[in-house]
Amino acid sequence: MESQWEARRPRPRRGPLAGVRVADFCWMGVGSVATRLLADYGAEVIKIENRKRLDTPRKLPIYRDEVRSYGDEDANPDPNKGGLFNNYCRNKLGVTIDMSVPEGHALAVELIRHSSVVTENFAPGVMERWGLTYDFLSSLVPDIIYGRMSGYGHSGPHHHYRSYGPVIQAVCGLTFISGLPDREASGWGLSYMDNQAAYYNSAALLMAILHREVTGEGSEIDVSAVEAGVSLVGPDLLDVTVNGRPTRRPGFPRGNRLEYPDAAPHGVYPALGTDRWVAIAVFDELEWQRFVLAIGEPAWTADLRFATQASRFANQDALDEYISNWTRTQDAHEIMRILQTVAVTAAAVQNPQDLTDHDPQIAERGTFFELDHPVIGPALFEGLPMQLSRTEADIWRSAPLLGEDNDYVFGDILGIDEDRRRELAATGVI
Amino acid sequence: MPGLSPAFVALRVIELADDPGGEFAGKLLADLGADVVKIEPPGGVPGRSIGPFADGRDGEPDAGLHFWTYNTSKRSVVLDDTSLDGRRLRDELIATADVLIMSWTPRQLAQHGLDFDSLQAEVPGLVILSVTPFGLTGPWAEYGSSDLTALAAGGLLNLCGYDDHSIPPIRPGGNQGYMVAASFAHCGVLLALIERRRSGLGQLVDVSMHEAIAVSGELANPYWFYPKALVQRQTARHAQPVSTQPACFKCGDDVWVYFALMLSDTKAWAATVAWMDELDLAADLVEEKYSDLAYRQQEFAHIQGLIEVFFLMQDAQTAYHEGQRRGLPIGPLLALEDLPDDEHLVARDYFVPIYLPTDEQRSAKFPGSPYRFSSFTSGPARPPRLGEHTDAVIEDLVSRKAVQDA
Repeated sequence: MESQWEARRPRPRRGPLAGVRVADFCWMGVGSVATRLLADYGAEVIKIENRKRLDTPRKLPIYRDEVRSYGDEDANPDPNKGGLFNNYCRNKLGVTIDMSVPEGHALAVELIRHSSVVTENFAPGVMERWGLTYDFLSSLVPDIIYGRMSGYGHSGPHHHYRSYGPVIQAVCGLTFISGLPDREASGWGLSYMDNQAAYYNSAALLMAILHREVTGEGSEIDVSAVEAGVSLVGPDLLDVTVNGRPTRRPGFPRGNRLEYPDAAPHGVYPALGTDRWVAIAVFDELEWQRFVLAIGEPAWTADLRFATQASRFANQDALDEYISNWTRTQDAHEIMRILQTVAVTAAAVQNPQDLTDHDPQIAERGTFFELDHPVIGPALFEGLPMQLSRTEADIWRSAPLLGEDNDYVFGDILGIDEDRRRELAATGVI
Repeated sequence: MPGLSPAFVALRVIELADDPGGEFAGKLLADLGADVVKIEPPGGVPGRSIGPFADGRDGEPDAGLHFWTYNTSKRSVVLDDTSLDGRRLRDELIATADVLIMSWTPRQLAQHGLDFDSLQAEVPGLVILSVTPFGLTGPWAEYGSSDLTALAAGGLLNLCGYDDHSIPPIRPGGNQGYMVAASFAHCGVLLALIERRRSGLGQLVDVSMHEAIAVSGELANPYWFYPKALVQRQTARHAQPVSTQPACFKCGDDVWVYFALMLSDTKAWAATVAWMDELDLAADLVEEKYSDLAYRQQEFAHIQGLIEVFFLMQDAQTAYHEGQRRGLPIGPLLALEDLPDDEHLVARDYFVPIYLPTDEQRSAKFPGSPYRFSSFTSGPARPPRLGEHTDAVIEDLVSRKAVQDA
């Protein structure tokens, strides 16, 4: 046990961001995922939490060996048990501060004075209420970088609107463009824009850091998740603004079919087993010929309706039915293997179990890795999908327990002595 | 109003990437002011032949909206790397770069006579950003890919579709598999550039679209990592281990809104009932018995039915703004043609008018920068016509060499 705690003690970090200290007011999904990348690459990210208002991922009931749905929260959750928090906050330090009392506020200001980056994703107005404006922060640290992440940005008539992933996806158009033609949208089964807005925020912080290294200047950053979403909707947006072609039109959205280019077959087909599927995408004549050979040249492939790319595209309903009859008797991964072996683009629709236990590419590249946690125990983490040849990520610790690093941060960094720290803890300031 | 950042204006990027993952990463650097020189084969990169096209100019390499989307602010050079001269020119251009953006698999690299190890030895400061379907190593490194199959293999597709599981999972729109890869590519190249300030050395940043998607499923992997539960897809709302009530409602104007009422959220419940009651559509929901969560849960089908009627009685914009005024997170499923006129995006000057490659007298709105900095700016400029900058870039290369020789 002794050695486990020893290994969790804060230590100098390695990586391109070593020496960057972040006073991190972020919570929920977007902010926590955004600063996670900084922590992975060596920044000292100090997550500032409030014991009276626990970060939601600490409470969401994603617990080891205990199945509960998203909404089925424990009334008195153990804040150190949440798997989602562990996933989001690895490699970060954790402190607790009650911002509503003057001593707490003063501690936060002192921590900012010792930092070079401040991050937050509260509703607009919260940081202002605490007086933590860019003007004030840059009076403390002249080249401070202040990363502000929100749903709608910090200006404009809707800046105060409440949002989370699915609302952002609706308002930026990403949900409308996703679904079968002429019926309700199928949209997104996840908060896609929580992840994408987080990645945009990580990048924005890195851009500001690079800018500061070159010019010595700090920055205030305003990233709106809605605007990040609009920047991602793709070529159909220019079809609107250049050609005036609306997306509210018969036949749109396109389901799993492509309009540009006229790929066919292009779809998701049933495979052996319950709710198992395989995606197949054939883009040109040569790929089609290889596909026909790979599935054993059944008689229907000689049908005149399937003689050319254009005719296959025009007759996709019939084509898809034949292909489904072939796929539904076989294992999705086996179909993927058979087709990929002859250079036909195909993939099993994988679920998290497939990714974790069977995917040889994930295994070989080490995408998921394991870290121990004092309450949760050993757990898998979603790692980084990029490998830098000379710069390894500095993966050193699972997520902090609530207030785990109060002594290190308030003592070693801010120089507050032990008696005073005990007093701050006893009075609930930290 | 701040200008472009010297940190990015000074960057020279050579882009050989020819799919949206690498191209969008290049666009993000170009929109910041980096000089991104896109090298294209005679006839152009494949993306130039993908529609839709501007003004019915189908097939014209300068008129493709797919290309425009992923290639703003760049310069275009045409060279044929199957010829010795072309290949030498290409390699000389790469030697002038801070960043090289690629999207080829190891086999394709070999076919084109490119070897990262020797490139690194010859140009030690070069950051090579490789954005490929599966990464440069591993058993699937040469597997073919597309946006649909990448989303399938990476697990994101499994989360998206309809409650009716006789319908296959449905790919969300807009090439998002490539977009997730581009986001990590952008972060990766920035990390390498920050590191290079200290070491003076470049490195290879090997981004895998497959892994980028595999780590971006939000709750799906944690639900498997921790309780060993597999989430099930549901229509336009979170895939969950157990089913939840529908969250999209059709309004009177045929526009849908997303509104997920958490029955356990007492505040949201009270706000919703008060709102419904104001329109005389709350029926019995105002009664005391509904203050009990267990009763609400038991009656949820009845509640859902009343909410359906409630939204049908108003238009989506009214529901959006009135719901938000009451503190409820609600949003209309906006179509893309709604975006340029959205009052919030207009007030923030989000869209940027860009003169078209096909007609420099005419501009159209392009999506603007998704991030705003107090100390520098970012934003798209016109995408290049095919080979528009070939002469300028080669002349510049010749004069660089003259300076070197002198």
